[in-house]
Amino acid sequence: MSQMDFCKGKTSKHWIMGAGICIFVSALVGTTLTGYTGRAQANQSASSSAAVERGGQQFASSCGFCHGADATGGRGPDLVRSKLVADDVGGNLIGSVIRNGRPAKGMPAFTMSEQQISDIAAFLHARFLAGVNSRTMGGGDYPLSKLLTGNAAEGKAFFDKAGCAGCHSVTGDLAHVAKKYEPVMLEMRMLYPRGAETPTVTVTLPSGEQVKGELEHLDEFSVALRDSAGWYRSFPRNEVKVEVHDPLAAHQALLSKLTQDDVHNLFAYLETLQ
Amino acid sequence: MNHKIGRFSRRNSAPSTGLFLWAFALMFLLAALSLLPHVLLGQGLDPAALLKPATNTWPTYNGDYSGRRFSTLNQITASNVNELTLDWVLETRSQSIKSTPLEVNGILYFTAPDNVWAADARTGRVIWHYERTSVGDHIGHRGVGMYGDWLYFTTPDAQLVCLNAKDGSVRWITQLADSKLGYFSTMAPLVVRDHVIAGVSGDVTDIPGYLESLDPATGKLQWRWYTEPKPGEPGSNTWPQTSDAIRHGGGMTWMTGTYDPELNLLYWGIGNPNPVLAGAPRPGDNLFTCSIVALNPDTGKLAWYFQPSPHDVHDWDAVETPVLFDATFDGKPRRLLAQASRNGYFFVLDRTNGEHLVTAPFIQTTWASGVDSRGRPMENPQDDPRPDGALVAPASDGATNWMAPSFDPETGLFYVDARRTFSVFFLTAAGKAEGWAGTDRGLWADSALRAIDYKTGKIVWDHELGNGEDGAGILTTAGGVLFTADNSGNMLALDPATGKTLWHVNLGGGMASSPETFEIDGRQVLLVSARNLVFAFSLPHSQIPGK
Repeated sequence: MSQMDFCKGKTSKHWIMGAGICIFVSALVGTTLTGYTGRAQANQSASSSAAVERGGQQFASSCGFCHGADATGGRGPDLVRSKLVADDVGGNLIGSVIRNGRPAKGMPAFTMSEQQISDIAAFLHARFLAGVNSRTMGGGDYPLSKLLTGNAAEGKAFFDKAGCAGCHSVTGDLAHVAKKYEPVMLEMRMLYPRGAETPTVTVTLPSGEQVKGELEHLDEFSVALRDSAGWYRSFPRNEVKVEVHDPLAAHQALLSKLTQDDVHNLFAYLETLQ
Repeated sequence: MNHKIGRFSRRNSAPSTGLFLWAFALMFLLAALSLLPHVLLGQGLDPAALLKPATNTWPTYNGDYSGRRFSTLNQITASNVNELTLDWVLETRSQSIKSTPLEVNGILYFTAPDNVWAADARTGRVIWHYERTSVGDHIGHRGVGMYGDWLYFTTPDAQLVCLNAKDGSVRWITQLADSKLGYFSTMAPLVVRDHVIAGVSGDVTDIPGYLESLDPATGKLQWRWYTEPKPGEPGSNTWPQTSDAIRHGGGMTWMTGTYDPELNLLYWGIGNPNPVLAGAPRPGDNLFTCSIVALNPDTGKLAWYFQPSPHDVHDWDAVETPVLFDATFDGKPRRLLAQASRNGYFFVLDRTNGEHLVTAPFIQTTWASGVDSRGRPMENPQDDPRPDGALVAPASDGATNWMAPSFDPETGLFYVDARRTFSVFFLTAAGKAEGWAGTDRGLWADSALRAIDYKTGKIVWDHELGNGEDGAGILTTAGGVLFTADNSGNMLALDPATGKTLWHVNLGGGMASSPETFEIDGRQVLLVSARNLVFAFSLPHSQIPGK
């Protein structure tokens, strides 16, 4: 679900707005996030973030006692995954339930304006979307405090012991690295900086001639490289000897050895490199 | 490439003997065909024919009920596979084909989300194309089921469409689930006698999963089995008793199951629990999510279950094909069921009663501290998704996924498309966890085809498929050739005993489906797809007896 990653979901109290931004971005790039169900689309235009916020407050005070302030149910049923709410458009079904109540089930009638009802509807539809968008994660806005659980001194000890200095220097390539990358990105790149370095390859031809360059492609049958002159060259694997040098091999080898503490200590250490 | 002598070189010991054998085989085949009951009217599929599928058809998603994806056809062998010739290519101009086409009486039926095609298996000519635009998740589609002259097609908005196989016209459409609640459907329905078995998908809105049986003629519901028990029923004590978590527990029935006609049991893999990455709101094993279940197809009643991932928090559903075969285990003949599960473990069970026999990892995982007395891997709590990120192998996409595995009775090996992946699992939910409640971000992946000894779970051989997550399924054949694809668009023909490459061809894109084979006009056809292209290969006529 790569389209999900594209979205800037919020995990703070502004999650509703986050969902809204996500929908907007998805619409722009033509993905089907809102098309996940027909319902989200139908209700999207009707609900502004202000309406959602008003609806949330109204819901918490009038309905939260039974349905829970987040509408996932309590004494009364869960409304986020309710069939009636799913079929509602802009309050057209929710309204009559609010105004008439459900005396048989112990729900009283409420007196509310059109605006109050459509706000509550907007809130409930946004609550549903929160689940749909729950896989999105902030990049720059994901709080550093959530990631900063390790011990920087132990991270430094690991850095020194694990041989990171064989390729890296905290005063060289890693100087100010914490300023260069947003926290989540720094944690990811610390573990495996995908694409940061291109593997190089040495191809030895039957004649003994060696061709070197940046690795373009490698499979069981062919190897391709870009040589120092910038030309693409490929060779059949069964006629040449291939030696690949992957600068990220040490990162990959570490992945299966790191404990969760190692990861968070090391991250805490890198975060000191402001 | 390298086509050294394989196990089946004896078939080609001398040309004259070979020809004689082929002629004999052909005579035998013709005789066998004449004995088949001619119950079929027109081009349809008798449901009884599903019990013993002939070699000239691929009548259900896995080719037969066992899910082995092993064909007894042996015209294409280790010795001649390098002479395979392209018969035709069909471009659908759709999204990637992830379905396994049915082949019934010379007609192929295959799908992409919202689309069904019927095509001439001899020429690749499209006979009809059905298209129905829908909202819902268009993540992929696995194919159709067939009963008589009718096809069954699931849709992104969770409808079941019944089509006339003759012309693609709609007979009826019935709802499997309400897409407004977040349901969709991608699976190929399984036809068992007078039951059309269909499942549902959707794992971001905390909705309950189920499996349905519908009447093939009318679409009327015969039974529905919920993947979570009702409060008070067996298994309900594996959910919290003080919340409604069990009613929002997920457990989707994404994939097509298998069936044992003699035991009259359906075997189905069940999806992961919800909220997906958050375990705190649902302490307990969360039955029957991430389980393999045996159901009676007539009643939908549960016979037994086994749970590969108790209390899953990594999206490692157990929907991968439960493969059925009969073989010896500890010196005794057993009715077995094997699954290479998304969590990276291979399981073998006795399919009569669910007795656990083997548990073994087929990739190096980081998340389990061992295996418990019931054969279930025990999760290390440190590997739970967390706000600061947990480094875990495999990633949520899993050590394998929808790509079909295969079991070859001649080698006794189980084959799986194994992905070695690392990912960081973040629990991001603030407040009540809903839907995914977080995400995982992939770091690194590569893939290998792995051959597993079913008796021990040990890896017998390993064939590298390249960087990234491979999406190709596997076919094995009595010709001694295994077909799959690597991560660079190469379709591979491998020796199933050793994993050595016998032949390859680049198809110009990734394979996200599974190869299949059937016989038509005396030729063994190999049918594969890559991107939105379907390819048919067979041997040159000069290689085929009588041609």
